[in-house]
Amino acid sequence: MILDRLARAFDDRLRLSPVVRKALAKVFPDHWSFMLGEIALYSFVALVLTGVYLTFFFDPSSADRVYQGSYAPLDGSTTSAAYASTVRLSWDVRGGLMIRQTHHWAALIFVAAIVVHLTRIFFTGAFRRPRELNWLVGVTMLVLALANGFTGYSMPDDLVSGMGLRILVSVTESVPLVGSWLVFLALGGEFPSDEMIPRLFITHVLLVPALLVALISAHLAMIVRQKHSQFPGLGRTEHNVVGSRLYPSYTLRSLALFAWVLAVLFALGGLVQINPVWIYGPFVPAGATAPAQPDWYIGWGDGALRLFPPWEFRIAGHLVPAPFFPGVVLGGVTFLALYAWPFVERWCTGDRRSHHLLDRPRDHPVRLGIGVGVLTFFAILIVAGGDDVIARELRIPIYDLLNTLRVLVLVLPLVTGTLAFLLARALRRGDAARLGELTRADLRAARRQPGEPAPGRAVDEPELPAPHRPGERIELWPDGDRWRWRYHDERADLAILSNREAYTEQEAVDAARLAYPGVDRLVVPGPPPPAPPGRVRTAVRRWGNAAMGVALLVTALRQRRRRKDAGPEDRSSSQ
Amino acid sequence: MRRPPVPPGPPGVTRRIALCFLTSAAGAIGFAVTYGLGGQTQWEGVCLAVAFAGLATGLSIWGRRLVSVGGYVEEHEGFVPPPDEQAMTAEVLTAPDSPVRRRGLLATLGLALSALGVAALFPLRSLLPWDRTRPVRALKETPWRPGVRLVTADGRPLRPADVPADVMVGVFPEGDVDAGDAPAFAVRLHPERFTRPPSGGHLDGLVVYSMLCTHAGCPVRLYLRGTGRMLCPCHQSSFDLFADARPIAGPAARPLPGLPVEVSSDGYLRATGDFTAPPGAGFWDQP
Amino acid sequence: MSERCERRWHPGRACAFGAVLALAAGPAALAAPATPSPSAGVGTPTTGAPAPAGTHGEELYRQSCASCHGQQGQGTQRGPSLIGVGPASVDFQLSTGRMPIADEKPQSRRTQPLFSADEIAALVDHVASFGGGGPQIPQVAPGNLQAGRELFATNCAPCHGTTGAGASLTNGWTAPPLYDATPVQVAEAIRVGPGLMPVFPSQVLTDQQVDDLATYVRRLRDERLDRGGGSLGRLGPVPEGLVAWIVTLGLLVTAARWLGRRAGQ
Repeated sequence: MILDRLARAFDDRLRLSPVVRKALAKVFPDHWSFMLGEIALYSFVALVLTGVYLTFFFDPSSADRVYQGSYAPLDGSTTSAAYASTVRLSWDVRGGLMIRQTHHWAALIFVAAIVVHLTRIFFTGAFRRPRELNWLVGVTMLVLALANGFTGYSMPDDLVSGMGLRILVSVTESVPLVGSWLVFLALGGEFPSDEMIPRLFITHVLLVPALLVALISAHLAMIVRQKHSQFPGLGRTEHNVVGSRLYPSYTLRSLALFAWVLAVLFALGGLVQINPVWIYGPFVPAGATAPAQPDWYIGWGDGALRLFPPWEFRIAGHLVPAPFFPGVVLGGVTFLALYAWPFVERWCTGDRRSHHLLDRPRDHPVRLGIGVGVLTFFAILIVAGGDDVIARELRIPIYDLLNTLRVLVLVLPLVTGTLAFLLARALRRGDAARLGELTRADLRAARRQPGEPAPGRAVDEPELPAPHRPGERIELWPDGDRWRWRYHDERADLAILSNREAYTEQEAVDAARLAYPGVDRLVVPGPPPPAPPGRVRTAVRRWGNAAMGVALLVTALRQRRRRKDAGPEDRSSSQ
Repeated sequence: MRRPPVPPGPPGVTRRIALCFLTSAAGAIGFAVTYGLGGQTQWEGVCLAVAFAGLATGLSIWGRRLVSVGGYVEEHEGFVPPPDEQAMTAEVLTAPDSPVRRRGLLATLGLALSALGVAALFPLRSLLPWDRTRPVRALKETPWRPGVRLVTADGRPLRPADVPADVMVGVFPEGDVDAGDAPAFAVRLHPERFTRPPSGGHLDGLVVYSMLCTHAGCPVRLYLRGTGRMLCPCHQSSFDLFADARPIAGPAARPLPGLPVEVSSDGYLRATGDFTAPPGAGFWDQP
Repeated sequence: MSERCERRWHPGRACAFGAVLALAAGPAALAAPATPSPSAGVGTPTTGAPAPAGTHGEELYRQSCASCHGQQGQGTQRGPSLIGVGPASVDFQLSTGRMPIADEKPQSRRTQPLFSADEIAALVDHVASFGGGGPQIPQVAPGNLQAGRELFATNCAPCHGTTGAGASLTNGWTAPPLYDATPVQVAEAIRVGPGLMPVFPSQVLTDQQVDDLATYVRRLRDERLDRGGGSLGRLGPVPEGLVAWIVTLGLLVTAARWLGRRAGQ
C-alpha cells in the first residue's frame, strides 16, 4: 500500500504513467544472443562497484613508501606507494584481495563479452541501417574498454605490468614524426616518469569510465528508440518486434543474468588467483621476468609484435622502427576497418534500406567468410602472444613455434574464411537446416558460381509489404472499454498478442496496420476462445489481468486529472 | 479497486524459488560471518557467489515459470520521418529570425569558438615536461658519461675481477641506479670467439651492453651461458654477444648499443662515454 | 636404465591444466594444488640397497657414468669431462635426478634421483678423486627473506620468472620451475650454473646472499603465497585469459541461452 501511494505521488507530479505503461510493454525478442551485450553491461557495473571500493585503498603515487604488513618477503622494503598500497590491499585489507581479483576478472570478462556481442552483431548484420550509429558507439566502447583495461593493469606498478607499459611506450615512440612527443605528452617525461601513475589513475577511474558511462547510455537510448532487431520468423516483419515484454518477463530475466554475472565474477575472484602482484614484485627499470604477457585483450598486439619480422627502414635519415607496423598500423587498421564496415558493406552491396530483420550468418557468405577469417587471424595473434608459455608447456623450441605461427597467421585465416564462405553458400543453396545435415551435393553446389541470385535476395528489390499469406489475419476485439488486437496464423496455429491495450478501435487498427502491413483485419465480437490451458497460457491470462489492473489504475488517474483540468488535453498518440 | 487474485503457480515452483532466495540469504550471511571472523579470500568469494547464484537461479525460475514468455508483438514505426514533420521542423529552424540565417554573424561566431577551442588546447602542453629536456634529446642521452663508475644494483662499484667468466652482472651508472634508460650488463667472453669487434670495445673479453631491447625496450636479461647469447623475455629477440650483440632471431632489428668502459686508476670500471647508440626501442629521430 | 628417460608429468604443467580444468568444473578449483607436492630431496633413497662402502663409488661410476664421461672422467664424445666440475655440480646433477640419463639430449629434466644419498656421496667423492677442484657442496643456513626476494628479482627472475614457475629459452632449453628444489640444490645451482645458467661465484653473490636466496626460493613453493586461490600454475595472463574465455562462453553464454528460451522449449 505504501508503494502504491508512493507511485501515485510521483505520478501525480511527473505524469509518468503514459510513458511507463509504454516502456513496461516494450517487447524484447526471445533469443539468447540478444543478452550477450547485457553480460558486458553487467560486467561493467561490477567493475564500477568493485573499482570504487579499490580506490579507497589504492595510492596512485610513485613516491617511495615502506611496506609494512603481513606479506613477509616485502615487509620493510621500500617500493612505490602504488605498489605498496596494492600489496597492502591484497594482504592486509580484509576482503581487499577478493574485491581486487573480482575487479580484474570482471575486466577480462567485460572485454570478452563485448567481443562476443560484437561478433553476433557483425554476423547477423545488425549494424545495417538504421543502426550504424550504434555500431560506431559500440566500437568506440571496445576501444575505451581496451584502454581502461590497460591503464588498470599498469597502475599497480608491479614488474609484469611495468614491462607491459614499457612495450606500449616503445610502440608509441615508433610513430613517425610525433612518437616521442606523444610519449612525453602522456607520461610527462621519459619512461618511467613520476607523473606516470597519477595520470594512469585519473584516466582509469575518471576519464575513460565517464566516457564509457556516457556511451553506454547513448547505446541503450538508441536501442530503446530504434527498438530491437529480430531474426526472421512467422509473424515477424520489418515493422514489428515479436517477443516478451520488458515487464515482467525481461525484468526478471535481466536481473537473473545480472546476478549470474556477479555470481561467476565473485566465484572467480575468490577461487582463482589473478595477477598476484606480491609475487611479481615491484617494477624496477632493469627488472625482467619470463614468461611476460599482457592481459588477453592486448595479447593480439603483443602477438603481432612477436610475429612481425625484424623489418625497419629509414626515410630521409629518420627511422621507422619495427614495432610501428604490428603495433600502430595493425591496431589502427583494425579499428578503422571496424568503424568503416557498415559503410563499406553498404557501398559494396548497394543496400541502403532499413533492416530490422536480421540475417542468419549463412545469408551473407562473403561477410561470414571475412568475419571468420579475421577472427582466425586475431586468434592466432593472441596464441602467438603466449608462444613462450605454449613452447614451455609443449616443450618445443620457441623459434620453431614462432615460424610456424608466422606461416599460420597468413594461411589459416584464408583457409577458415574460404571454408566458412563455402559452407555458408552450401547451407543457403541447399535445404540443410544445420551444418550437420549438409550433403556432398550441397557442397558441390557451393563451389559453383551462382547462375542467378537466389530468389528474394536481390539487393535492389524494392521494399514491399510482406506478401499476404492465406490463413493470416489480424483480429481486433473490444475488451471492456479498451481495444485489443492480435495476429493470428491459423495454419501455423500461431497467435501473437499486441503488447498493450488501445483506447480506441482506430488506435488498435493503426498499430496493427503498422506491425502487419497488408494483412486483413477482422473485428471479432469478443476475446478469442482461450487456448487449451497450459502453463504459458495461464500465465498470459494472469499477467493480462494484472496489466488490465494497471491500465485501469492509469485510466482512473487520467480521469481524475481530466476532472481537474477543464481544458482539452492532448493525448499522447500511441505510435 | 479490487485486484484479481494471484493465481497459484505450477506446483512446487514457488517453493523452489523461495528456497533459492533463502540460499542466497544464507550466502550473504556466510559472507558477513567470514568477514567478521577475519576474512578469507576463498570463503568470501564462495559465499558471495552462492548469494548471487541463489538470486540468479530464483529469478531465472521465476522469469521462466511464473510469468509469460514470448507471444507479444510491438509495432515498429520505422525511421523515415513524416515529410510534413520534417518540413515543419526545417521551417522552424530556418525562420527569418533564426540564428542560422545570419551567415556573417555565424562566421565570426565560428571564428570565436575555434579560437577558444585552440586556446583551450594550450594548457594541454603543460603535460609535456617543459622544465626538463626535450623528448628527442632525453631519449638520445643517458646518465652514462665519461668517468661515471659502473655499480651493481645495490650500488657497489665494480672491478674487472667482479665479472669473472660465465657470469652476467647488471650494471648501472653510479648515482642513477633507477634511471630508465641506463641499465646495462657486463659479461666476460673469450676474445678469440668474437666474430665482430664489440662496438664499445672490450677489456680482456669484458664487454658492456645496454640491457634494453632495441625492439620494444624490455630488459634483455636472459643470459644463455656458453652460447654467448642474450634473450629478451618479452618478444624473444636473441642477441649474439660474440657478434657485437647483433640480433639473430626474433623481432629486434638493431644490435644492442655497447658501452665503452675503462679501468680507472683506482681499479674500478668506469664509462668513457655514452652508449654507442640510443638505448631501447627505436624512434623517428634515432641517429 | 631406460626407465630413467620416462617423461614425468611436469608438476607446473599439471598444475596449470589442473587448475584450468578444475575451474571449468566449478568451485573445485579450491582443491586444485597450488604448488606441486614436495618431492624427494637429497636424502630420499630410491633403492632399497644398503649403503655402499667407499669403493662402491668407483663401481657405481663404472656402471652408470663411465660410458659417457670416461673411466677417469676425461669425457667422451657422448658426454663432457668431469674433471674440475666440483662436488656441488655432481651432487646437483645426481640429487635432482638429471644424471644419469639414458640417451643424449640437450637438457635433462628433473626426475626422482636414481641413487640414495649415500650412493651420491660416494659418487661425489669418486669424481672428486679425478682432481681439478671446483665448487664444494654449499652449506646452507636460514637467510633473510626480504633480501632474498630482492636478490631473486635481480638475478633469478629474468629466466625462472618472478613466480619461480620457469620459462622457455631458445632451442627447446628451459629454465626449470624451482618449486621442487631443496635449499642445497638451489645453492649448488647458483655456484655451478648447470646447463645454460650463468654462474654466480662468491664475488657476485656472497654465501650470506645465497642463503637469503635459498630461503626465498623455499618460500616461493609455499601454497600460502597463492592467497588468491587456484594459482593457474603462476603463469600469468595466458591461463587467466583462457579461464576468462571458458567462463564467458561456458557459463555466462550458457546462462544467457537458458534465460533466452521459453520454459517449455
